[in-house]
Amino acid sequence: MTTTRRRFLRSGWKLGGTILTAAAGWTTYESLRPLVGSATGATVELGTPSNYAPGTATYVSAARLFVANTGSFLYAMSQKCPHLGCRVPFCESSGQFECPCHGSKYNIGGEWIEGPAPRGLDRFALTLDSKTGTLSADTSTVIVGPPRGAKQFVTPAKGPSCIPKA
Amino acid sequence: MADVQTPPAPGDGSDGSETPTRDALEPGEAFAPGTGLAARIERSNAWRSLFRHPNIDTPRGRALQSFSNFFLHLYPVKIPARVLRMRYSFRLGFIVTVLFFILVLTGVYLMFFYTPAVGSAYGDMQHLRTGVGFGQLVRNVHRWSAHLMVLAVFLHMMRTFFAGAYKKPREFNWVIGVVLLLLTLLLSFTGYLLPWDQLSYWAVTVGTNLVQYVPFLGHSLTKLLIGGDTLGQATLLRFYALHVAVLPLLVVLTICIHIWRVRKDGFAVPRLSVGETTSAGTFEEEATAVPSRVPSNAPKDLYGARTRVLGVVDRESITAEERAVDDTVFTWPHLLVRHAVVALGVCATVLVLGVAFVAPLRGLANPNLTPEPAKAPWYFAGLQELLSHFDPLVAGLLVPAGAVLVLVLLPYIDRNPSTLARNRKVAIVVFSSLMLIAVVLTVIGTFFRGPGWRFVVPWTHWYVEL
Repeated sequence: MTTTRRRFLRSGWKLGGTILTAAAGWTTYESLRPLVGSATGATVELGTPSNYAPGTATYVSAARLFVANTGSFLYAMSQKCPHLGCRVPFCESSGQFECPCHGSKYNIGGEWIEGPAPRGLDRFALTLDSKTGTLSADTSTVIVGPPRGAKQFVTPAKGPSCIPKA
Repeated sequence: MADVQTPPAPGDGSDGSETPTRDALEPGEAFAPGTGLAARIERSNAWRSLFRHPNIDTPRGRALQSFSNFFLHLYPVKIPARVLRMRYSFRLGFIVTVLFFILVLTGVYLMFFYTPAVGSAYGDMQHLRTGVGFGQLVRNVHRWSAHLMVLAVFLHMMRTFFAGAYKKPREFNWVIGVVLLLLTLLLSFTGYLLPWDQLSYWAVTVGTNLVQYVPFLGHSLTKLLIGGDTLGQATLLRFYALHVAVLPLLVVLTICIHIWRVRKDGFAVPRLSVGETTSAGTFEEEATAVPSRVPSNAPKDLYGARTRVLGVVDRESITAEERAVDDTVFTWPHLLVRHAVVALGVCATVLVLGVAFVAPLRGLANPNLTPEPAKAPWYFAGLQELLSHFDPLVAGLLVPAGAVLVLVLLPYIDRNPSTLARNRKVAIVVFSSLMLIAVVLTVIGTFFRGPGWRFVVPWTHWYVEL
């Protein structure tokens, strides 16, 4: 098959149009893609481990996370429900995380107990500075929460749920 | 030269005859007789540069008015008379268009008083309530029109399905209609965030997080949509730009194509013509049938029956003229008057709603406090309800994507040419069942869910936000 000028031009403008469209799509995506998260990304100082008593979950508003002490482990946990993004408060009376949107519940270690959430609460990397003895959470790296089957910290609810009964 | 007061016979001067009859519609003829100020204005060059033809109530005059007027040109000059019936289309497509225009007008008004910034958006909404004349009313009308538009688009789609109006040659116009449905949902959803109150913040949080269940791309898409990990300034600005510029332009373009194709494909009504069966039988039968009703004073025949003999002809000479029945009427005034009434009705409805019901404005958006319950806007509540029962992959992706795909492909899947309900039982049962499931899920999600997504009954606990 010989390449005529007409055939070359016909293919040429189609190829050129495709490349231009792809370039426009790519640059649009690159310009709209968030480079830095609006809520996370910084390393946040959390004080000494002694600030967090066993069996409690303390909210750190600067980093929008909970520091939970399960008794044996410390976790920095995202406040965002992995189901549909609602904020999950810690219910003092039941000792569990309870999502007000769709009723997902998590134990103090952030493991899924019940509800429609696909997994446990996401976590952030928590480091202990050996020199100063202080904790810090790196919120730029999200560690995907434990799968539904995880049962490391299973404990019954201490008391009534915080979600009001209809 | 014909007098202005005596309209010319149709076809005069336009049938190619050598000496066409001149009338008031011909250039140079009397444009508006009379000596009054109005007539003098109508005769002026300036007036005639705007309105090229006088308002003459003849078929030719009406046709010319349609041809030479941009807005009337959107309509065909003549339409089948059946289109005038309310039950033909329930005017739903037109109602949607009117609602869209109301939304554009009220939306532009609201833009004068709104800054899409996290620090000021909520304050602007409060200012609109108390410091702007009719600000609250216009916002109410905008809000209720948006909800009604979603509802009307849905009903329009249902009507089109049950009428079988998506069948050949209207398949692609159905697809464009599905695109318009999605654009309408996106328009409503992007506008939902702008007040930046607790209701909008959490409804949009829940709505945008539905996207994260798209396999592989979910998290990237969610981030792209909201411009970060959580809703913030980037989200507000993105939704604002989409809401006031990108989506309205796309809707206008798509509506134009949609209406243009309705014009080109013709109205989806059965037209009476020779050989077609009507309730009275075929046209030939109708034309040659012996009149069933005979006057009571007609003379009796030999057998005592009353007949009326009009003439005696040879049976072989009875013929039917093969000519399609002209059942068309002029768009102006027949359809336009009805459209004007419907438009007024729509305006009155949204105005009454705007006066009677105040658009909700909760407290300032607080990312650290999720209200109980946090629901997506009502048109996504069915999806939210589904997500509380099934795996996110199923409820968040397979079902909605499958539903859109089925809707788009519907006219290509259903190749049964009949538009009669009795010939389309399977299609109607399947479609009705799916729509019923969608409606039931939406009703449950909207009315029957409370804190923690627990089941509540709406007459004791009301957790509905519009």
